[in-house]
Amino acid sequence: MCAMAAVKTETVPYLEAFRARTRDSEPAWLVERRRTAAARFAELGFPTRRQEQWRFTNLAPLTQGAFPPNSVENRIQIELAGELPAGAWLGSVQEALRDRPEVLRAALDEAELAGAQPFTLLNAALFDDGYILAIEPGTAVEHPIEVVHRGEGGGSFHPRSVILLGERSSATIVETFEGRGKSWTNSVSTVRLGPNAHLRHVMVQESGPEAIHLGLARAALAAGARYENFLLTLGARLSRFDVHAIIEGEGARCGLAGVTLLRESQEATVATFVDHAAPGGETREVFKCVVDDRAHGVFLGKIAVRPGADKTDAKQVSRNLLLSPRAAVDTKPELEILADDVKCSHGATVGDLDADALFYLRARGIDEAAARAMLIEAFAVDAIEGAVAAGPMRDHLRRRVGAWLEQSGS
Amino acid sequence: MYLLEINNLHARVGDGKQILKGVSLKIAPGEVHAIMGPNGSGKSTLAGVLAGKPGYEVTEGQVLYEGRDLLAMPPDERARAGIFLAFQYPVEIAGVNNMYFLRSALNAVRRARGEKDLDAGQFLKAVREKLKLLEIGEDLLQRAVNVGFSGGEKKRNEIFQMAMLEPKLAILDETDSGLDIDALRVVSNGVNRLRDPKRAIVLITHYQRLLDYVVPDRVHVLGDGRILQSGDKSLALELEKGGYGHLGSAA
Repeated sequence: MCAMAAVKTETVPYLEAFRARTRDSEPAWLVERRRTAAARFAELGFPTRRQEQWRFTNLAPLTQGAFPPNSVENRIQIELAGELPAGAWLGSVQEALRDRPEVLRAALDEAELAGAQPFTLLNAALFDDGYILAIEPGTAVEHPIEVVHRGEGGGSFHPRSVILLGERSSATIVETFEGRGKSWTNSVSTVRLGPNAHLRHVMVQESGPEAIHLGLARAALAAGARYENFLLTLGARLSRFDVHAIIEGEGARCGLAGVTLLRESQEATVATFVDHAAPGGETREVFKCVVDDRAHGVFLGKIAVRPGADKTDAKQVSRNLLLSPRAAVDTKPELEILADDVKCSHGATVGDLDADALFYLRARGIDEAAARAMLIEAFAVDAIEGAVAAGPMRDHLRRRVGAWLEQSGS
Repeated sequence: MYLLEINNLHARVGDGKQILKGVSLKIAPGEVHAIMGPNGSGKSTLAGVLAGKPGYEVTEGQVLYEGRDLLAMPPDERARAGIFLAFQYPVEIAGVNNMYFLRSALNAVRRARGEKDLDAGQFLKAVREKLKLLEIGEDLLQRAVNVGFSGGEKKRNEIFQMAMLEPKLAILDETDSGLDIDALRVVSNGVNRLRDPKRAIVLITHYQRLLDYVVPDRVHVLGDGRILQSGDKSLALELEKGGYGHLGSAA
């Protein structure tokens, strides 16, 4: 055995950039934390397809390219539909470091790094961009908060979002990721919900056709909290989004849903992991994927029910539509149940458009392309309507799906 | 001139089984034809072949619709040219709103006829008129196509669509099956209102019952993939008494 572990070459440009950056203005705890994360990243290297969680995801476009981290601040646009109430604080990571470092520290604890994936560690080492939303107990933010993360040009971006909701507070946030050119966006959103807090978290990934997006949303739910995440995946040549929810308190509820629409040679993975660590939790998952041309969609859905998390009620559905003979889908549910009196179910389907429905529409005069578009839209919109309440948010998502269908013209 | 001319039509299903073995039939505008026959005689196959349903292969013969080669037209083009099939089993389409579907269909058909699209107001007005005709509640239109409809509602919805699309040739595939007497009356009234000198209607049915309400000009008996006998409405009554048994190999 070598005394020194071999250097993982793919990590070198990122670690060099990490070392080159001075962090003199940052608090000591953060500098230390970044160092820890970078060291772990160096140990782990990039994931490989030998690891079960990455078996279906072809990372070649990432490993074969060079994406030195960018060091530009404020590459973020925050829009508010209305005034923020007293008790809600919203600002960029840089503003938070200046004005509310304690909020940042509360979110970025050691538990977040333990067992984290390499890219999450890399984000923890390098993040400069992103925003912090912190809401005091009992405060409801009525208007949706819209955040757009823009990665322009080449290189890599490591935006960090932190959402902290106090007891009985609520908010709706839409995060849109728009990576441009040959860029790599490596985003992490950290969510902590206090008792009975309620967050609606909509994420739209519409990066350009040459971009790469890897993202993680990690939510910890206290007793009675409710987390509703909707993920719309449209862009990027290679993308993977992990949604990780931990039911820490009794009776917390977690709703994860998403629509992935892929064409040409796009490669996209959606990986969910709901960890029921407290009794009486509820999980509802509905993920739909439409794959055309030579694209490849992957869904990995893990639900764990820890000892003592009795009366857990979890349901997972993965539905996939293949529109071309060369399109491919891998879907893999995984249940790990170590508690009693638990209701857990999952179902997965992969298929073509319903031939009977297609004929029915055509028999009424609707041409084939329009009939197909109608059925694809219905397939996708069903997941949106099941997860997102009627209103501007649902309309926004529907429009994105409609725009995708118009582009295909098939 | 005939609206539809079927000459020596042979067709088989995907697994190679020959179902139609030489059907010939001529239908003029304004006529109502009934095609009767036992299960397995080829009634639904004939309807499917005429509407362009996938899964059938025509091996011989010809179908002319307004003098055009019908079998060369894709199903949506047939519909836009004025052919309407009322499905025996209307398909449930989750996520597609009934109203949106119907408006898309109507405008597609209207454009093919050289007419302008209906705007939302005109469309709604037309819809309300025809809904009354078939005793359908407006709430049915807000739902997804056929999803959660009762059997009777599905069949009424088919005739409602027919009323909206105003076809030249309507083929009703066992529209009477599964209907109770009240629903049968409503559906029959709807069909009778759509009788028109310019429109031909083909009623495909197993039972004579429907023909008490919608009286046909001609009745054909289909058996083993051929038309075994043709006559006027009295033929249906004979069949009612004697059954299909006496019709040779058609039993």
